[in-house]
Amino acid sequence: MNKAKVFKLAKGFRGRAKNCIRIARERVEKALQYSYRDRRNKKRDMRSLWIQRINAGTRIHSVNYGNFMHGLMKENIQLNRKVLSELSMHEPLSFKALVDISRNAFPGNKNVVHAPRKVSIPVDV
Amino acid sequence: MASCSATSAPSLCSLLKLNCRVSSARQNFLLPPLSVSRKPILSPPSLSFAFKKIPGIAPRRFSESEAPEVEAEPVPESEPAQIVESSIEVPKREEVFAVVVIGSRQYIVFPGRFIHTQRLKGATADDKIILNKVLLVGTKTSTYIGKPVVPNAAVHAVIEEQGLNKKVTVFKYKKKKKYRRNIGHRQPNTRIRITGITGYQDSPAVTLDSL
Repeated sequence: MNKAKVFKLAKGFRGRAKNCIRIARERVEKALQYSYRDRRNKKRDMRSLWIQRINAGTRIHSVNYGNFMHGLMKENIQLNRKVLSELSMHEPLSFKALVDISRNAFPGNKNVVHAPRKVSIPVDV
Repeated sequence: MASCSATSAPSLCSLLKLNCRVSSARQNFLLPPLSVSRKPILSPPSLSFAFKKIPGIAPRRFSESEAPEVEAEPVPESEPAQIVESSIEVPKREEVFAVVVIGSRQYIVFPGRFIHTQRLKGATADDKIILNKVLLVGTKTSTYIGKPVVPNAAVHAVIEEQGLNKKVTVFKYKKKKKYRRNIGHRQPNTRIRITGITGYQDSPAVTLDSL
């Protein structure tokens, strides 16, 4: 690609990489390679994030993520993790209904650890 | 195009508050969620929940409906010259949402908003569509959870436009092997406006009082 396009893609780069064509061209190529790789990584990262959120949402109701998903699979509920994480954030009541369904289907083990409650310690001035 | 109808048990949904001000999103894909905060959708009428209402930065997923349909606060008319009524008339949209499967991707849809989906073949602008794969329907007081599909539930939509996504540069490069390919790609998509969600009323539901 010609220099104008390279400089357009090199906006915001550090130091000479945004001004000098020899350095900018290398950095832009590297950036495009990273974006190719990260379009695939983004899917993995998002799924991991959704799972963390679902885990947090279910642990409020004393169920951990593994047992929750097992219960949903048993009940043949086919909501995916993206939608489940959205529900856990913005639809707490719907999410609680899902947790109850899952708990009835698969009681699971009883060793669910809740997050430690933050206790405010009074500061002596 | 209508997907195959399937029966599903209705589920209980929490309330849906449509006060979200949303900027139009290109794709219905959850972008880095840490930067997005949205008010909780539903506020239970009788129960008090501890979640805090975050002053709305609109979520980027959902698109805004036309301007006059957005719920507007009543505008106090102070100028004596204007003789109009004090509040702007806004058509009340039913507060319900659904989780629907299109092109094996799941979307949370609200009536009046649009979503971008994979290109639907054979569809033209202003085609009416009925989506039958509804996995969950939520209203203000109840949730209808499908196992796997809510029976007889249907989401009505209208195709607005068949377009292309933003261009993505696919650059392949192997070092020291003189291999480089620079390819541009625009994925075809379809913009669909959701008009209504029907048919879920008879399904078994989980209501607020039973929670």
